[in-house]
Amino acid sequence: MTESPLLTPVLFHAGPIPISGAVVVTWLLIAVMTATSWALTRHLSLRPGKAQCILELFVETLDNQIRDTMQVPPEPYRALIGTLFLYILAANWSSLIPGIEPPTAHLETDIVLAMIVLLASIGYGMATRGIGGYLRTFAEPSWVMIPLNLVEQLTRTFSLIVRLFGNVMSGVFVLGITLSLAGLLVPIPFMALDLLTGAIQAYIFSVLAMVFLGAAIEAHPLPEPLKHKEP
Amino acid sequence: MMALDWWTLGLQTLNVLVLLWLLSRFLLQPIAAIIAARQQSASHLLDDAATAKDEAQQIREAAEQARAEANRQRTAALQKAERDADLARRRRLQEADAEIERRRQQAQEALNTEQQMLQTAIEARAGHLALAIADRLMQRLPDSARVEGFIDGLVEGLESLPAETRRSLAQADAVLRLKAPRPLTGTEHSSCMAALRRAIKIPLEPQVIVDPTLIAGLELETEHAMVRNSLRADLARLQTEISPHDIEQS
Repeated sequence: MTESPLLTPVLFHAGPIPISGAVVVTWLLIAVMTATSWALTRHLSLRPGKAQCILELFVETLDNQIRDTMQVPPEPYRALIGTLFLYILAANWSSLIPGIEPPTAHLETDIVLAMIVLLASIGYGMATRGIGGYLRTFAEPSWVMIPLNLVEQLTRTFSLIVRLFGNVMSGVFVLGITLSLAGLLVPIPFMALDLLTGAIQAYIFSVLAMVFLGAAIEAHPLPEPLKHKEP
Repeated sequence: MMALDWWTLGLQTLNVLVLLWLLSRFLLQPIAAIIAARQQSASHLLDDAATAKDEAQQIREAAEQARAEANRQRTAALQKAERDADLARRRRLQEADAEIERRRQQAQEALNTEQQMLQTAIEARAGHLALAIADRLMQRLPDSARVEGFIDGLVEGLESLPAETRRSLAQADAVLRLKAPRPLTGTEHSSCMAALRRAIKIPLEPQVIVDPTLIAGLELETEHAMVRNSLRADLARLQTEISPHDIEQS
């Protein structure tokens, strides 16, 4: 790890298009996650096995998290939040594979994820409130707050980018320095710490995405049956 | 020096969107669908269970109603049977009572008839006995007592007849029969003729007929009248006058 972590190395060119390592790793993650998902969901049945139970537990936990955080039915947001969590988690944990640099350690990937959250909050907000209603939220509680609310939209998106990028990139950076200075076994505690940091960052990014989406649609408290819906 | 790779930015955007679609298509939607299907299946099972429970409840209620109906019919049948049995018993009792009464009346009638016949036989026997007793007693008296003692009685009997009857006795074509227990002696015959002339006021010449059954006495018979003046007639009168009740009291 001698290159600057702020640079995105290009592995090869597909015609005029430079293909970076983050893109290739993402392709690999997409292939693995899609294949695994297809394999695990091929034979779903009403009487689940262990793997299906784990998958259903994950989906139910995700739905409950969305329901508790956003106070809305989870179906419209399940795919976005679940994909963000799984992709960030898989990307962060991909650093454990030798020679693989996690895509989230590059700024472009984090910018893409944060921008998707920003655009999704705008889209869901407009779909829920209407264009005028959504725009009026920038004038709350007073029109004086319009500049501050606009800045808030940008700063919290920027915070998403920087938080994820900083944590993952620093972990990779520390791990690279440790590998260059110490032997084979010394980086193992740092790698374990990377596992924890990667999972926490994936969870934090997903929760913040839910919070931003919930603020955009200004959700109302769910009725009790939906709020405490159990599988 | 930090620099953004816009190609990477675009490709990653495309990659994340593709991954979003792929995970939604192959992971999240199937899992959510199977969860919903299980919830729906469980709901159907609960609904089916509730339906089965309701049906079972209805069947049980129908069975209870049928049992109650059967009990009611059984009770009604028992009551009807008891009523029928009571009616039959009463009818049989009435028939038995009527039969008993009919047989009792028949027995009473038979008993009355038998008593009547017995009474008649007793009376006949008593009459014969009285006649025999009187005949035996008269044998202790003088033979003249069989006639002479009854001449005055014959006169009294004639005098008690209505006047028209006495005049008919005096007519020339009248047939008179004088019954005596034995042939009359000359003296007795004269005494009798004298007594008849004294009673009728004209001389009569009756035909004398011996009738030992008189025992003692004299009786006069015509076509229109009869004067009973004998022990046999007295005994017969006494037998008629004395009732069985008087006999029992005596």
